[in-house]
Amino acid sequence: MSAASAVSTAGYLARRAAQKERVRILYRRALKDTLNWAVHRHLFYQDASDLRERFEANKRVEDLDTIDRLIADAEASYNKWRHPDPYIVPWAPGGSKFTRNPTPPSGIEIIYDYGREDND
Amino acid sequence: MAMRAAILRHIRLPARAQTLAAAAAAAPRSWDRSPLGGSRAMSSHGDDHLAKEEVAERVLSVVKSFPKVDPATVTPDVHFQNDLGLDSLDNVEIVMALEEEFKLEIPDLEADKIDSCHLAIEYIYNHPMAG
Repeated sequence: MSAASAVSTAGYLARRAAQKERVRILYRRALKDTLNWAVHRHLFYQDASDLRERFEANKRVEDLDTIDRLIADAEASYNKWRHPDPYIVPWAPGGSKFTRNPTPPSGIEIIYDYGREDND
Repeated sequence: MAMRAAILRHIRLPARAQTLAAAAAAAPRSWDRSPLGGSRAMSSHGDDHLAKEEVAERVLSVVKSFPKVDPATVTPDVHFQNDLGLDSLDNVEIVMALEEEFKLEIPDLEADKIDSCHLAIEYIYNHPMAG
């Protein structure tokens, strides 16, 4: 194997790996968004299966540029249909409990002596 | 002031332990199960962490109930794609199921790295918000 073909093989593999990662992350986001759009769990299962079929349909595409175009199209479509008010886990940024803290237990209190200390 | 700071630096730890012990002895209240308060019901931060056995058991039960997986083959150090015959999209689905099970929100790039039961158990056990 010549050096040039080794370089191109490495380039091919790197590009394939990047594409695979993009597809995985796109599928993950799209699947979460499907759950956001579904009002009930039993509606989600059918939608998720449809989403999976749309990914499986292009499973055997070999041409790198075609794959890039397909991924770009899919990302555009994901961005177009993104949910305006997605579910966020309560503690996460944007969630309903984010930075909501309870009052401290009784016995722990702030003494307002405005910077003066006992021995001064 | 300098002397006071120097003294405080030396007695800081014993003094704190003493006051906590004294407070616990003087008035046993509902919150002194832990120094920060045991029941923080409204808090977004749980103070209790899951035991590793419980994490492992729940992770395994999630993986076993995945439709394409044969429950008999699932062990704590099984690799999703190499050992269970799943593909990368199934991997994504399993990680999402784990997020729902433990009420987590895993960043995309970290979730992408979780590819085996062992890694999933480690990640969830070390996550402060797993519940």
